[in-house]
Amino acid sequence: MTPILLRIMLVVGLALVVSVIVLTRRAWLPGIGHGLPSIWRIAKITVAEARRRRVLQAVIALVILILLSMTAFSYLSPQEQAKMVIDGGLAAITVFGILLAIFVAAFLIPNEVENRTVYAILAKPVRRSEFVLGKYLGALIVLAAMVAVMTVVLVGVLVTLDHLIKDQAGSSFNPNLAAVVLAAVMSYCSLAVLTALIVLISTVSSTTMTVIAALIIWAVGSLQSQIYVLAESNGGAAKLFLLVLYYLVPHLENFDYRFQAANFVAISVPSAIGAVIVGIGYTLVVLVVASIFFSDRQV
Amino acid sequence: MATAETVLHIEGLTKIYRSLFTPAGVKAVDDLNLTLRKGETYSVVGPNGSGKTTTLKILLGLIFPTAGSATIFGKAIADLSVRERIGFLPEDAYLYDCFNGEELLDFYAGLFGYSKRKRAALVEELLTLVGMQANRKVAFRECSKGMRQRIALAQALVNDPELLILDEPTSGLDPAGRHQMTLLIQELKRRGKTILLCSHFLAEVEEVCDRVGIMYRGKLVAEGSLPELAGEPEEVVVTFRGLERVAGAAATRLRERLHTAGVAVAPEAAEPDETPASSAPAGAFATLRGATGEVHLPAAHESKLWVILQAVNEAGGQIVEVSRPRPSLQAIFVRAIREVPE
Repeated sequence: MTPILLRIMLVVGLALVVSVIVLTRRAWLPGIGHGLPSIWRIAKITVAEARRRRVLQAVIALVILILLSMTAFSYLSPQEQAKMVIDGGLAAITVFGILLAIFVAAFLIPNEVENRTVYAILAKPVRRSEFVLGKYLGALIVLAAMVAVMTVVLVGVLVTLDHLIKDQAGSSFNPNLAAVVLAAVMSYCSLAVLTALIVLISTVSSTTMTVIAALIIWAVGSLQSQIYVLAESNGGAAKLFLLVLYYLVPHLENFDYRFQAANFVAISVPSAIGAVIVGIGYTLVVLVVASIFFSDRQV
Repeated sequence: MATAETVLHIEGLTKIYRSLFTPAGVKAVDDLNLTLRKGETYSVVGPNGSGKTTTLKILLGLIFPTAGSATIFGKAIADLSVRERIGFLPEDAYLYDCFNGEELLDFYAGLFGYSKRKRAALVEELLTLVGMQANRKVAFRECSKGMRQRIALAQALVNDPELLILDEPTSGLDPAGRHQMTLLIQELKRRGKTILLCSHFLAEVEEVCDRVGIMYRGKLVAEGSLPELAGEPEEVVVTFRGLERVAGAAATRLRERLHTAGVAVAPEAAEPDETPASSAPAGAFATLRGATGEVHLPAAHESKLWVILQAVNEAGGQIVEVSRPRPSLQAIFVRAIREVPE
């Protein structure tokens, strides 16, 4: 490496360090915050607020209705019906989970700022990063409860169908419930990553922009392998843009185990764990950036 | 100059709001200097848009100053430990709508890391203080404006703060609600709290504040205690009654005597309508309404007071009061902002 290149790298590196210090100066306020207790209190009130929202209850009721209606495909063979119910059920959990994630997360911080409820909280010894993390944790708990309810109903439908088929035809489709539950858990993990990104966007933009951005991220994140192929087949600015998307947007498709669960294909646990670890790392980085952005925001 | 007794010290605080459409920016707070001493109640008054709320938001770390600095208890406002010792009542009580008073207070107390037992005791104490025990389970959105404001005040008190920052505490309240809130503020003052209050209800400010700062277009244009701001009385007022006992002749004689003394007499109207004698003290006038009357004598001509008292006495009038009224805060306020150059 030439000395000139080394010098340039040193200058760029120093500039980056200074930029990070300047950008994050408000995120690390002096004094003692209450850390986890504050995060937990904010998460709890976020959950309590969500519990009182009728829209969430209505969405859950709708999903349950959709899952129950899947028992009506009795003209299919048991195997086909099992595949249909598992695939459709997990798709419903994913799609409605994403809608719920957008609905819950996109409004978390903008609503607090617009309704000015954030004033009374930030006037207390609460760091802005604690506020962001508390809101995120609250959203995670709400989504966990929603996904759990939907998964329990799906499993209930599968068990009931299995019994019905056994009674009527004497055969059985023996659904792999563990795979179904694992697929639902992975779907929840993708929601957790997406929610963190939504929280990040909501710290710097309006609710409408956040919702639009969240939908785009979901679409891009679910089509990452195609985006890579597209990038490789393009050149110049288009390739660069697609590669930026590929490396920046989370690979949500890595959390999609619907096909394996519906087609009785064994799920690779190490790859699932790998996806979860990458997801956790990505989420942590996103939350740190969200905290920095929100710490610099004038409310 | 900050001393050990200084609770809040603001120096050269400036806030300019800039946007794409206003690159030069709008100056919301302009080189503000202010010091608040321990135990005092200080009110910042000013019309809407004068920079009061912006100042409070800077102090609470909700927005950031463009220039200048502020310390609370000797520490920079960015220091989180400062917020352990302050309480804030936001304008219009922006709290979570779907919770009741008890839940809200428990939540805000929890942000200070208090145990469940301590929170329960605090909630009881605060609900009692603000008179909300009976309505503790009413959802915040179903509360009247007065009830909401009382809960909001209670949340500002969860940490037993040494400094209370109140933003328009009586805004939107009916007269009864305003009175209750004023009583609560007086009670907190009696308990030794240092209070920084922003308001444009001047009557309540007069009732509770030790010192007043008048803000206009982001600047502090006047500051001091009410007597300091009012300055020396500008006139002496003699109030008398009992003219009915001596019928019309005495009143006519009084009118003549006052006129001779150079006092313009306005029988029915509030303003003088007669040209006084040439030796008249400028602006001296009297109003006679039936059996009662008032003589207003400019302070510069107080030496004429004895002549006027004698005239009233000789006419059979009874002196009720001789006073030197100070201008109201309203008058001080109007005078202060009129003096600001355009």
